[in-house]
Amino acid sequence: MTALVSHLKLLEAEGIHIVREAAAQFRAPVLLYSIGKDSTVLLHLARKAFWPAKPPFPLLHIDTTWKFRDMIAFRDRTAREFGLDLIVHTNHDGLARDINPFDHPPSVYTDIMKTQALRAALDAGGFDAAFGGARRDEEASRAKERVFSFRATGHRWEPRRQRPEMWTLLNGRLGKGETVRVFPLSNWTEGDVWRYIALEKLDVVPLYFAAPRPVVTRDGQLIMVDDERMRLLPGETPELRNIRFRTLGCWPLTAAVESAAGDIDAVVEEVLRAKSSERAGRLIDHDQAAAMEMKKREGYF
Amino acid sequence: MHVAALREEIAVAPVPALTPATSGMVRLLTCGSVDDGKSTLIGRMLWDSAAVADDQRTAIAHASQNRQLNGEKVDFSLLLDGLQAEREQGITIDIAWRYFETADRRFVIIDAPGHEQYTRNMATGASHADVAILLVDARHGVKRQTRRHAAICDLVGIKKMVLAVNKMDLVNWSESTFRSIEAEFRSLAQSFKFTDIVAIPVAALPGDSVVRRSSAMAWYGGPTLLDHLESLDVGIERRDVPFRLPVQLVLRHGDFRGYAGTVASGRIRPGERIVDARSGFGATVRRITTMDGDLAIARKGDAVAIELDTDLDVSRGAVLSDIQRRPINADVLEARLVWLAETPFDPEAGYLLRTATDLAPVTSMSVSALINFETLASAPAHACGANDIADCHILLGRPTSLDLFAELPATGSFVLVSAVDGATVAGGVITWAQAGATAVGTNVFVLDRELLARGLCSDLGDSPADLAEFHRRAQEAAILLRSVGIPVLIEI
Repeated sequence: MTALVSHLKLLEAEGIHIVREAAAQFRAPVLLYSIGKDSTVLLHLARKAFWPAKPPFPLLHIDTTWKFRDMIAFRDRTAREFGLDLIVHTNHDGLARDINPFDHPPSVYTDIMKTQALRAALDAGGFDAAFGGARRDEEASRAKERVFSFRATGHRWEPRRQRPEMWTLLNGRLGKGETVRVFPLSNWTEGDVWRYIALEKLDVVPLYFAAPRPVVTRDGQLIMVDDERMRLLPGETPELRNIRFRTLGCWPLTAAVESAAGDIDAVVEEVLRAKSSERAGRLIDHDQAAAMEMKKREGYF
Repeated sequence: MHVAALREEIAVAPVPALTPATSGMVRLLTCGSVDDGKSTLIGRMLWDSAAVADDQRTAIAHASQNRQLNGEKVDFSLLLDGLQAEREQGITIDIAWRYFETADRRFVIIDAPGHEQYTRNMATGASHADVAILLVDARHGVKRQTRRHAAICDLVGIKKMVLAVNKMDLVNWSESTFRSIEAEFRSLAQSFKFTDIVAIPVAALPGDSVVRRSSAMAWYGGPTLLDHLESLDVGIERRDVPFRLPVQLVLRHGDFRGYAGTVASGRIRPGERIVDARSGFGATVRRITTMDGDLAIARKGDAVAIELDTDLDVSRGAVLSDIQRRPINADVLEARLVWLAETPFDPEAGYLLRTATDLAPVTSMSVSALINFETLASAPAHACGANDIADCHILLGRPTSLDLFAELPATGSFVLVSAVDGATVAGGVITWAQAGATAVGTNVFVLDRELLARGLCSDLGDSPADLAEFHRRAQEAAILLRSVGIPVLIEI
């Protein structure tokens, strides 16, 4: 790992540069904080970019009410510790209609509780730019994403209308009705994120580290029973298995992996030797062909 | 050269040896036309260097069965083609970014389309690269396409080229075929500023000379493609390059006032003098700050904040510089650019010049020549449109700190922005620049805040929405004035 530390410093400097450009060019930025490892790195870069001052923008979390309890505790602790403004937004209309990951297909649930909620929160806050922790290595349609990703009215992503980005010059001049998603971690890989977390000794949600946790096996995926809302199928009994998560989202839709990686060094080791890509554990992505591209066109992050 | 004579080299403590591992990351562009097997070559490199996860391998193998393939089990190009529309059409339109690493190095692969109608996409991708892999088909050799791609790489400042002569299996692994293609390319490359050209014979489909050595080409004693990429020197800057730090923003915290930015070139230490070329004022660096503590030196690529001993009163757009070798405080410049927008150049449209951190209004702009890809010669012209490479003359509404691209690429490049919708319409490199060509007030109409607030914007307050409307009206007024030939400077 030490042999590759130098490239982490290059990625860090690039990320800080992007955060500063966005803060300088946009009127009202917000940092979309989803509590996971990528958000942790993103927030760390934002803190570095403005140090000794605080980042001049709030954090925004879209809370579907189905996040792991550990995530919510970590979110609140982080905002408190760094003295940052945290905006939590939930789609209460969706909640009132009882839109949930058990009764609705992942695509419907995600659209209402995440995509629509995000659009509403950005509109309500009057934000013209939102930082996100998306990486180009995550998924094929993201491999072509820009650092400043423009969204037309209604937050629609038009792949053919994206602006070319040359050298390190970032053009943030908005056209009418446009907003921007800013991706400072564009050139990072999952392995980079973990090595950077180790290098900088950053705190992450404990769910990333292996521990005995109650799970059931469904369609070959390990689903953790995080609270009493779990609907067990006939014959299902939660059992304690040594698991951890590679990615964190809504607990009924996020599969765990069996693992013995109980600390950061073990996680780095495991990620670098991984035999499957990280999004294999995200049930929403398997819902339809080119799922992510469809979601992005509709305004998903 | 606009700068003064080279400064005497300052005695410095020796730096640790720079091994390839300390140059950490290599960004490589792959170019060549679709038929040359570009996606296959990169796919093969990822596949053989174990950069593909198992579930991806399965998905690719599965998808390969849906395509017509000539006896090959895996379609490596599926690793690279991303967007739905492109997958359906089987072509690469946009730029795709891929990442992989070996024991020594982290690689960023920038995959850009090769067709002539996508010249702008290729130029965009190339602008991020440290090295370009230029593919040619061994059966066809150097083509018009090859020449054009080399020209684009040269335009955006790539210095290191790898000529990958592909499909060697289809020319019976012939050394003489390879050597003659190499010779032809080296001769054509003489008209460019490449400093490092390496030619490698490969066969991407069976994988010869990509990651593993080829037993079929015993005559070839050079490195495989991956060996070469792992040993390239990149990111190491010469000692005598002048310091530049374009200011992104000013950080304030209590008594602290730091000029935040990324070092674009050169290096700086506490105690050294710097100057803001625009105002001509100088100061001494007191501290170089980061959240991890103060630095004893900041080098090219470091994102830092600089605290000075005196308040220079500079803001975003200023370039803190070496005091002897300063940038040009230019308001007239010549540039070579690639036109990126679908909408062609319009001398009456409003444009803005986006440099490292400045955004300066363009008062007038004209095209003087277009570059012919066949001959690489320039021919007089007055218009340019999507995918054209043009030479142009630009007059700015106010001076901005610039360098010549050939000397300092990071502060010598720009993008041209539409003042109307904000679109990035062109990207260019500065070939000549001069200060003081226009004096503000003599023949430039200044639209300042007071003038606008009195009349056109008298109904607006200072809410964010009103301020945005204020700016919009100012731009619209400027566009109308420019359209009747009046140079306008917006100062609000």
